[in-house]
Amino acid sequence: MAVDEGELKRLLRAGLAGDAAAHRAFLALAATALRAYLRSRLRGAPDDVEDILQETLIAVHTKRDTYDPSYPASAWILAIAKYRLIDHVRRLKRRGVAVELDDAEGELSVEGGAEAGTAKRDVARLLEKLPAKQQAAIRLVKLEDRSIREAAAATGLTESDVKISIHRGLKTLMKVVAEEHDAS
Amino acid sequence: MKTDDLIEALSRKLEPAPPPKTGGPLAAALAAGLGVALILLVTFIGMRPDIGTAMMPVMMKAGFSALFSALAIPLTMRLARPGPKGGRMLQILVALGVASLAIAAAALWGEKPEARMHAWMGGGFPWCLVLIPLLATPTAIGLVMLVRTLAPTRLTTAGAAIGAASGGVGAMVYAMYCPVDSVAFVTTWYALAIGFCAAIGAVVASRFLRW
Repeated sequence: MAVDEGELKRLLRAGLAGDAAAHRAFLALAATALRAYLRSRLRGAPDDVEDILQETLIAVHTKRDTYDPSYPASAWILAIAKYRLIDHVRRLKRRGVAVELDDAEGELSVEGGAEAGTAKRDVARLLEKLPAKQQAAIRLVKLEDRSIREAAAATGLTESDVKISIHRGLKTLMKVVAEEHDAS
Repeated sequence: MKTDDLIEALSRKLEPAPPPKTGGPLAAALAAGLGVALILLVTFIGMRPDIGTAMMPVMMKAGFSALFSALAIPLTMRLARPGPKGGRMLQILVALGVASLAIAAAALWGEKPEARMHAWMGGGFPWCLVLIPLLATPTAIGLVMLVRTLAPTRLTTAGAAIGAASGGVGAMVYAMYCPVDSVAFVTTWYALAIGFCAAIGAVVASRFLRW
């Protein structure tokens, strides 16, 4: 079953406007479709799927402002997933690992993508690799569900500094996840 | 961490994400690239001595060069975001390059046989192949810095688009020095120089676009 483009786009746009519930639903739908996509591409390495999926979701989240509403949301998330996948393959090749990537253009489908696999790398633990400021901001707001204001008070940062630290931190985290993944 | 927990974490305390402002930074990158190239030209190469009376051919050559930038800049901005390939714009840009070479061939056809070589080569080595890429570099640096802040996913094509866009800017500036005004010379070597810039961009600029 092809992913519901209308629904995906509606949720993405609502999330861009700041609707957290819509954003959560968008990421969940995207995760299902992208997991199915990555599984079909990474036949030889099923263990890598969940790691690259998480890396892709962080990329989708941190770069969501670059979404151009005149294009399909499914093409947009697929382009990001492909990019993360190619980046992954490129790094493996540099380390001398032969990888073959099925290059056929596929339609984004939700078939076989609902069941989550196990990620080898713990994103929460990889936070330790981030600068202290970014680490604290992400931990307090994103993991412990504290408000921006509370996080600002706890860290001594301004509220806008907390927001910037979260944003920058998530971008760094995406890279750290990718690198750790390859080192494994 | 489970993927569901990651999704939960990413959605917490969500802030609205307005589209990035690209118009101002793009204008700044182009203006800075053009300005630095002009300074380089005046400092190290010099304007053509008859620039005062040769405004017409200079403007024609600059306009021809600007055409490439006018196509490659929107293509660059399209490729700076995930999504469709920008195939149509890419095709028009390639068609412009091919048309330039066809115009060169037609112009040479019209020349007397003994004058052809001079009209084509401008009476020496076409230095624009070297100087246009050099004058394009400041613009390319600015465009790479801008595109990096977005999310390019086709890095080679995006790098080539940056190369062509900045090659056009470099050629505009080079036109103020270039002493050869023959149609065949300009449509051949300017187009090839801009194509060369696109090739360098595909190989070099693309490396700096990774995110």
